[in-house]
Amino acid sequence: MNETQENSDGASPRHPAPATAEEVFQLYGPRVYNLARRMLGSDADAEDVTQDVLLQVIRKLPTFRGESAFPTWLHRVTVNAALSHRQKRAQRQQREVHDPLDALFEDGSHHHPVRGWSVGPEDQALSHETQRLIDQAIGDLPEHYRDVFVLADVEGLPNAEIAGMLGDSISAVKNRLHRARVLMRHALAPHFEEALTR
Amino acid sequence: MTCRELVELLLDFLDGELPDDRRQLLETHLALCPPCLAYLETYKVTIRLTRRLPNEPPPPELLERLKAVLRQEGLQA
Repeated sequence: MNETQENSDGASPRHPAPATAEEVFQLYGPRVYNLARRMLGSDADAEDVTQDVLLQVIRKLPTFRGESAFPTWLHRVTVNAALSHRQKRAQRQQREVHDPLDALFEDGSHHHPVRGWSVGPEDQALSHETQRLIDQAIGDLPEHYRDVFVLADVEGLPNAEIAGMLGDSISAVKNRLHRARVLMRHALAPHFEEALTR
Repeated sequence: MTCRELVELLLDFLDGELPDDRRQLLETHLALCPPCLAYLETYKVTIRLTRRLPNEPPPPELLERLKAVLRQEGLQA
């Protein structure tokens, strides 16, 4: 398999084109499975979505072989499958999502003490405990914020691409991403601040 | 500029998309407010930590399920 594919923005090659079903499992299974798992907050639901998406990939292999649109298509199909699965579950949160900044500030000032964090060397792999903490915090985000956060900060997609996938404006995506980051920071702070005082 | 107003601007600040006058106000506040400086740093750490999350392999049972479906469809698994 010598073919390569370009990033969605047409930059440097990133993904080799899959050649067989077995390679699809190896190359794209982890990406699809983890994106679905983080969006849906459920391993079992992520498995269903991954199976659907990888079957689509395998059936369309002849169409996509060697085309640079494949990674973008894969993200879009996974996001659509995850959103569709969530709707089928009928577990979408209907309650109003309050602005998280309201709870974190009082009279315009920080409501909680703000301290630095100790997170260890940046060039080392995250510990299993840290991975678990971050994944738990992602799972606790309201779905309204979680989708954007996973696509932007875990998957590294540009805001414009996310806006296209979710049918939102870029400004709405940025607003939701910022609030998701604020919630994530708030959820993680006690763990890393505690590490500082040990 | 209040601390909350500063935090509201962090995404645009880090993306380099703040107008000059707002950026100068924000930087002035940061220079005088240790909590906001710590907030900025930990906001950035949150982003960096998340980007280091590895992908877990799908469970082997899922791959076996997929292969079974493919075999039923006459496709090579």
